[in-house]
Amino acid sequence: MTAAEPVYPVYVAVIGTGVIGRDLVSKVHASRLLECALVAGRNPGSAGLRHAAALGYPTSAGGIDAVLAAPKPFDVVFDATNAMSHAEHWRLLEPLDTLMVDLTPSRIGLPVVPTVPVAGAASGTRNVSLISCGGQASIPIAYALASRFTVEYVEVVSTVASTIAGRATRLNLDEYVATTQHAVTLFSGVSDTKAILNISPAVPPATFRTAVHAIVPGASAEAVGAVVADAARRVRRFVPGYDLVACTVAGDRVVVSLEVIAGGDVLPRYAGNLDIINSAAILVAERHAARRSRVALEAVGR
Amino acid sequence: MTAITIHDPTLRDGQHAVRHQLSAAALRGYAQAADAAGIPVVEVGHGNGLGASSLQVGQAAVSDDVMLSTVREALRRARMAVFMLPGWGTSEDLRRAVTHGADVVRIGVHCTETSLAERHLGFLRKVGAQAHCVLMMSHMATPQELAEQAATAVEYGAQAVGIMDSAGHFLPRDVTERIGAILEAVDVPVIFHGHNNLGMAVANSVAAADAGATIIDGCARGFGAGAGNTQLEVLVPVLERYGFHTGIDLYALLDAADLAERELMPAPPVIGSLSIVSGLAGVFSGFKHHVFDKAHRAGVDPRDVFFELGRRQAIAGQEDLIVDVVAELSARLAAA
Repeated sequence: MTAAEPVYPVYVAVIGTGVIGRDLVSKVHASRLLECALVAGRNPGSAGLRHAAALGYPTSAGGIDAVLAAPKPFDVVFDATNAMSHAEHWRLLEPLDTLMVDLTPSRIGLPVVPTVPVAGAASGTRNVSLISCGGQASIPIAYALASRFTVEYVEVVSTVASTIAGRATRLNLDEYVATTQHAVTLFSGVSDTKAILNISPAVPPATFRTAVHAIVPGASAEAVGAVVADAARRVRRFVPGYDLVACTVAGDRVVVSLEVIAGGDVLPRYAGNLDIINSAAILVAERHAARRSRVALEAVGR
Repeated sequence: MTAITIHDPTLRDGQHAVRHQLSAAALRGYAQAADAAGIPVVEVGHGNGLGASSLQVGQAAVSDDVMLSTVREALRRARMAVFMLPGWGTSEDLRRAVTHGADVVRIGVHCTETSLAERHLGFLRKVGAQAHCVLMMSHMATPQELAEQAATAVEYGAQAVGIMDSAGHFLPRDVTERIGAILEAVDVPVIFHGHNNLGMAVANSVAAADAGATIIDGCARGFGAGAGNTQLEVLVPVLERYGFHTGIDLYALLDAADLAERELMPAPPVIGSLSIVSGLAGVFSGFKHHVFDKAHRAGVDPRDVFFELGRRQAIAGQEDLIVDVVAELSARLAAA
């Protein structure tokens, strides 16, 4: 992804020190455009805060209060807590000039999938939702199928390793299902959709996978294969581990199996669910940074 | 005489054997017959429970709403039960089921994943339904692990807790050990739900009752995935002969089973070769049709597919893995 060089750094805060938060900090660290200015958690002894401190970033166990106490609002706040807390975090941050990037399945912000356009996406939106890992993995495929064919039904079934599903994920299964289903419909335009999540206890842990089932009358295997491969290629530009495992067409039934292998130094390779949602979140923040730079440059030009 | 509550999931687990195609008329007919026999709890739904009608496991012929209202109307004495897997159904599905008159709600979780049920068990207690938690694929955990998981379920609000032998893998001594360990950890009724892959379902259920389980599941003619479940009309008189009390009328029970054979299934389940393999491999019996279809289309041995799925520790709901395993075995054959 290309973006203009920033004319000033974009300061970000990360709330939440679970494995999602830790990987986000690591991805912000690797970004040219983003500068990590605070990592806020709730537990002073957490591994996430230690990890951020070891990278040299300011940390606090004060949670959202630490974010609000900053002398100047952060340009971007990543919320990696849970759907219930996100509602409260947004209420507190909404008055500030901050882009909220929500990694919980709260369905409050504008849903975003980096490779897929959404109708009516106002650039002024200051709360964007990354939907869910299953949404990020499946929607590019569902959207590509629905753009090219008449699709009657879409169903997305994801499997996440138990070892990587923390307490927030376990308590938010209802939100995961509702938010993912809603977003599949929103982006694909197919009204009849369904989302399912399996938590797999297999040892060694199962690699994150998503199956996209669709009813596509009159689709040929060749045409479907080409459309799906192209959609997968676009996602791979920012999630290199996004892999199209199988694409089968039998009658009007299409099944697309995807696996995501995580990169980076924080996540185990099987945790592709976290890699894809975090990579999308970073891309959204970088695009915001690039936009701010353009605005600033234009202001200088005037 | 110890009282045993018979829990009858014929109209839920049996759905796996007919690809979730039971009609409203079939549901009504069996529910009336079971009720007349004095079966105290009749469970209904898609094979994977509330909200599970899907391409992944099969779309049901009848919606959840119609299934529940049909069976509710047919039951005069019996309580109605439903089943839900977190991640498949949601609290909204639970709310609708309770509105339809579900008295007993079972939350199913893989045997080491009780924390997935925390929210739903709490929700059920709030709305006043009887909350059960069942640990599936329970051959994959030790007796001690199962006891800890069961205790956690009770902390979350479960008013009964137990194990499903989803793969039909247990022998009676395995059941004795596990039910015993759970009973030491909890003070609520304990559930056993058997499958018959190795011909042990009735013997395993007797072992469970002997060990102290007081809620035992059985299906008419064993109607269920693969080799089927514990055969209800055998289980009940056998338990009575052992001195347990079920309160069920034998002749009316046999009539209900005859009706089930006529109205619900093309043929009663048999312990086919593939079911024996899935029991030995410890793979969920509901995979049978999917494995059979996909293996045959690709020209690979479905027995190999089952043993490979067992090696990968596939759990219920992961039907999409079958496609991968078949593709891999097929590629291996082509390379050889």
